[in-house]
Amino acid sequence: SYLSTAVGQLSAPQHGDVSLLVQVLICRNYKGDVDMVEIDHFLPLLMQQEEEGLICPVMSHGNVHFLWIKHNNLYLVATTNKNSNASLVYSFLYKLVEVFTEYFKELEEESIQDNFVVVYELLDELMDFGFPQTTDSKILQEYITQEGAKLEVAKSKVPTTVTNAVSWRSEGIKYKKNEVFIDVIESINVLVNANGSVMSSDIVGSIKLKTMLSGMPELRLGLNDRVLFALTGRDKGKTVAMEDVKFHQCVRLSRFESDRTISFIPPDGESELMSYRINTHVKPLIWIESVIEKFSHSRVEIMVKAKGQFKKQSVANNVEVRVPVPSDADSPKFKTSTGHAKYVPEKNLVVWTIKSFPGGKEYLMRAHFGLPSVENDEMEGKPPITVNFEIPYFTVSGIQVRYMKIIEKSGYQALPWVRYITQSGDYQLRTNA
Amino acid sequence: MPYLGSEDMVRELRRALSNPNVQSDHLRYRNTILKVVRAMSQGVDVSGLFSEMVKACATVDVVQKKLVYVFLCSYASLNPELSLLVINTLRKDCQDPNPMVRSLALRNMTNLRLPSLVEYVEQPLTAGLRDRAACVRRVAVLGWAKLHKLQASSDIDAAVVNELYSLLRDPDPVVMVNCLRALEEILKEEGGVAINKPIAHHLLNRLKECDVWGQCEVLKILERYRPQSEDELFDILSLLDPSLLSPHPPVMAATLSLFLSLCSGLPAASLSALERVRGPLLAACGSASREMRFTALCHIQLLLRSLPGLMGAHYKRFFCGYAEPAYIKQRKMQLLVELVNDENVALVLDELKGYCTDVNTDTAQAAISAIGRIGRSYSDRCLEILTGLLGLKQEHITSAVVQTVRDLVWVCPQCSEAVCLALEGCEETVQDSQGRQALLWLLGVYGERVSSAPYVLEVFIDGLRSEVSPGVKMELLTATMRLFLCRPAETQDMLGRLLHYCIEEETDMCVRDQALFYYRLLHCGIEETRKVLQGRRSDPSLGVLIGRPAEPVNQWARSFNTLEPLKQSAAETESTSGGSPEPVTSVPRPNTDLSLSSLSPSALEKAEEEDYVCMEEHVHCPAPPRCSPQSLQAALQLVNVQTLAFTPPQTLPWRVYLYTHTRNTHRDQPRDDTALKGFLSILATVLHTLSSERA
Repeated sequence: SYLSTAVGQLSAPQHGDVSLLVQVLICRNYKGDVDMVEIDHFLPLLMQQEEEGLICPVMSHGNVHFLWIKHNNLYLVATTNKNSNASLVYSFLYKLVEVFTEYFKELEEESIQDNFVVVYELLDELMDFGFPQTTDSKILQEYITQEGAKLEVAKSKVPTTVTNAVSWRSEGIKYKKNEVFIDVIESINVLVNANGSVMSSDIVGSIKLKTMLSGMPELRLGLNDRVLFALTGRDKGKTVAMEDVKFHQCVRLSRFESDRTISFIPPDGESELMSYRINTHVKPLIWIESVIEKFSHSRVEIMVKAKGQFKKQSVANNVEVRVPVPSDADSPKFKTSTGHAKYVPEKNLVVWTIKSFPGGKEYLMRAHFGLPSVENDEMEGKPPITVNFEIPYFTVSGIQVRYMKIIEKSGYQALPWVRYITQSGDYQLRTNA
Repeated sequence: MPYLGSEDMVRELRRALSNPNVQSDHLRYRNTILKVVRAMSQGVDVSGLFSEMVKACATVDVVQKKLVYVFLCSYASLNPELSLLVINTLRKDCQDPNPMVRSLALRNMTNLRLPSLVEYVEQPLTAGLRDRAACVRRVAVLGWAKLHKLQASSDIDAAVVNELYSLLRDPDPVVMVNCLRALEEILKEEGGVAINKPIAHHLLNRLKECDVWGQCEVLKILERYRPQSEDELFDILSLLDPSLLSPHPPVMAATLSLFLSLCSGLPAASLSALERVRGPLLAACGSASREMRFTALCHIQLLLRSLPGLMGAHYKRFFCGYAEPAYIKQRKMQLLVELVNDENVALVLDELKGYCTDVNTDTAQAAISAIGRIGRSYSDRCLEILTGLLGLKQEHITSAVVQTVRDLVWVCPQCSEAVCLALEGCEETVQDSQGRQALLWLLGVYGERVSSAPYVLEVFIDGLRSEVSPGVKMELLTATMRLFLCRPAETQDMLGRLLHYCIEEETDMCVRDQALFYYRLLHCGIEETRKVLQGRRSDPSLGVLIGRPAEPVNQWARSFNTLEPLKQSAAETESTSGGSPEPVTSVPRPNTDLSLSSLSPSALEKAEEEDYVCMEEHVHCPAPPRCSPQSLQAALQLVNVQTLAFTPPQTLPWRVYLYTHTRNTHRDQPRDDTALKGFLSILATVLHTLSSERA
């Protein structure tokens, strides 16, 4: 029993001030194996490790282990005195973040303070005696509500979903207009070496639903064959291999395995139906060539060329090319063939923004910075150039929604809407500077 | 709001809580209670409000109830008598038509953790096991585990245990998993829940119904089951096969762990399971959560011990992103070292070279030492990079390079030529004691080929008074002695000054003793000195990097999917970033051919003034201590044993050079056998303790 001693504890040290104010916001001791005072050792340990530069997501004090993650300004810490299963503990901590974020939009010190009661209620439901219990936020939202803090609603209703056959959807949902919105989103991760060779690239895709349908509808999603073959791994080398395909629990996996049909009763509202990763050599959609010349004690000259390596019919929107500059640079001057460049001194970046970037086009930006005559002795790293963009109506993998069938026993007409977007994920190009 | 001291605050809150006007207004009442709980979690002692809060418990407002329970559970142990008053309300709530209220009452009844209440709790808990609502049964099942933990000595009713076993067939999967958890706790003394064939098969069949947490729990507990026939075993394995590819890393890891335990007698099946999880593990290495990435990397290292070729084609997955935390980068570099081969060596080295200038000095040093490790197989390419880095004249980089080349020449003596050339001028940049020790070692061993060696040592000797590190001083002594042997004319004078200072003025006993030792050694004549000081310059046997034999899976299967692989990594990165323990200080070796387990006086004993006994002894030790050199040294110093040198922890046989003093010296009988025996037994104890700590 690995998690049997985990104590869900949240603590929020407030950095920024010289005098560090430490405050444990919420503590739940689920089992009592680990003394509550142990959490007091967490921050000193963390500070010590930070100083030594040996920070590690597992720390030990005596026979107590702290497994922690950081979210915004919060530390979520699980303490255990067992040789626990690390990935399970981290998964649980991230689950906490996920649930709290769905409740409060943003998980931060303020939202915990403001929603004190709900946080306690949730911690009680999420874990009992150190074991995860109900962690599905859709189910939790049925009987723990922020409105619960107001008195009227507090006549708690029995959540049907706790024992329901369809645990992710309750009965009696009603909409005037029945619609379902399908978003196919692909993020491109690329790492390009300073000499221009692509070191690694992959696509992380996801199909998101916004369901506004009455009753208990039966949905069937049709994807194009190429993708389906890749999904089931039946093609032999023809198409790209999908890795790490995850379906929402509502999808009938046995059905998918037998006849490749994605059929399900959708959760109400927003949900992620499936996600996948394709590890393949993608041509970087926006290619960057850069020359950064540093003349010590006098100036830095930057030349960046951006090229859209996608179909001419498509357009990339809100393109941002972020070019690093030395921290002691000053007096910026820019020249761009399109868009505009801006110096962001607090991040040591030049941000070149192009609102609309059609495929096949090539643009240029030049920047000139002064350097102080006294050299900065501190070593600076070589941060890469990063690029943000968004290309609508286009997917790199070629995934397509062929149809979405919606069947409900009342027989209403429902409209499915589909949208495709390709966007930048972790998109890095190393520089030679 | 006016600022109130905690006493004022408690008084204020008490007044509000007992105010009938507040009590009659639900909203005000609840807000006051909220204030109490808020104060409690801010560390204010509000335990004095216990009786007021007990009264507030009797309400129809569920949220208010929850708040009061949070308070009561925190302070119940301070007020066992008053807590009795709550029990009535709680028991009444257990009869409530709303299952949420019933489960809430039941959960908090057991969370009070009061042994005196046990008799009142048992009856509702028994009823809870048969409740028609699953959420109540879930709580009731775990309630029994809590009760048992409260009074572990008392036996739990066999009827309850039976009922829990029968609830393994509950339609609700969470109830089923909770039963497993509860039985594990209750039957801890008997080795946990008994897994026979029907239970095992039942659990396997219901695995798919469980959520991630439940699946992991079931898989973990099934590790205890031993299938009765080979057919059954293979049926189970094929049932579990899809879970090996689970997109949830915890499930994948738990399944693999179960696979390895089921296949402990079938090495081939274990290895093919490792091949199966390659994809999911690589996917976990790209997870959005950096902790998950870290965990996956640590576990990949474990797998590589048995299947070194597992990730060969995927080495690019372990290239570091610019913004990744240092602990991930260092892990990835360790993996890259393992994955190097003739085809990718150029790319990997190019990548590692980029990390050497990382802003994080630990990462930079780890990259340099990784290049050094690769240098054991590809020495020319690596030396070129390493010597190139010296040109940057960065303090931490030069120090790490010097330490790395020291380790490199110890295993690859053919590199010494290039290293000697590169050493010139390093002394100006290296500042930290680890780096200087490495530099001194190199100057001592290869002094005849570094033209500036005497001048460098002279600068060190002139600055001796301001030197704080005993390690540097000891290394300096040895280096100067060695240089004296090959370049006596240039060194004699400074050696005299050095020995004089260390014997007359030095306060550190280890340094002084070593200086005395060398002084007396010189008295024995130059040939004797040469014999002792000119030991081996290298140990190519340590340099096996490629073609290292694969370990059987059973070596590490038990630590798979625990915290261990993550912790080990911390220890390893420490030793790669800080000075590596390889060729440590000088090795004053007595006659190397001493026979096993024999205590034979060495040549030194003939020295007239003192009685030295040198011996070589084999001590049987289950595993060489894997702790850091510093802690080993500290442990031995506790029993007055000084360490001179030891071999790297992984080498077998593991060697350590030690000395100690005895109190009574008899001129005529230089060997005090009883004292020696005592020394050996103490030594054995220390080594056993250290190695068992790590085992």
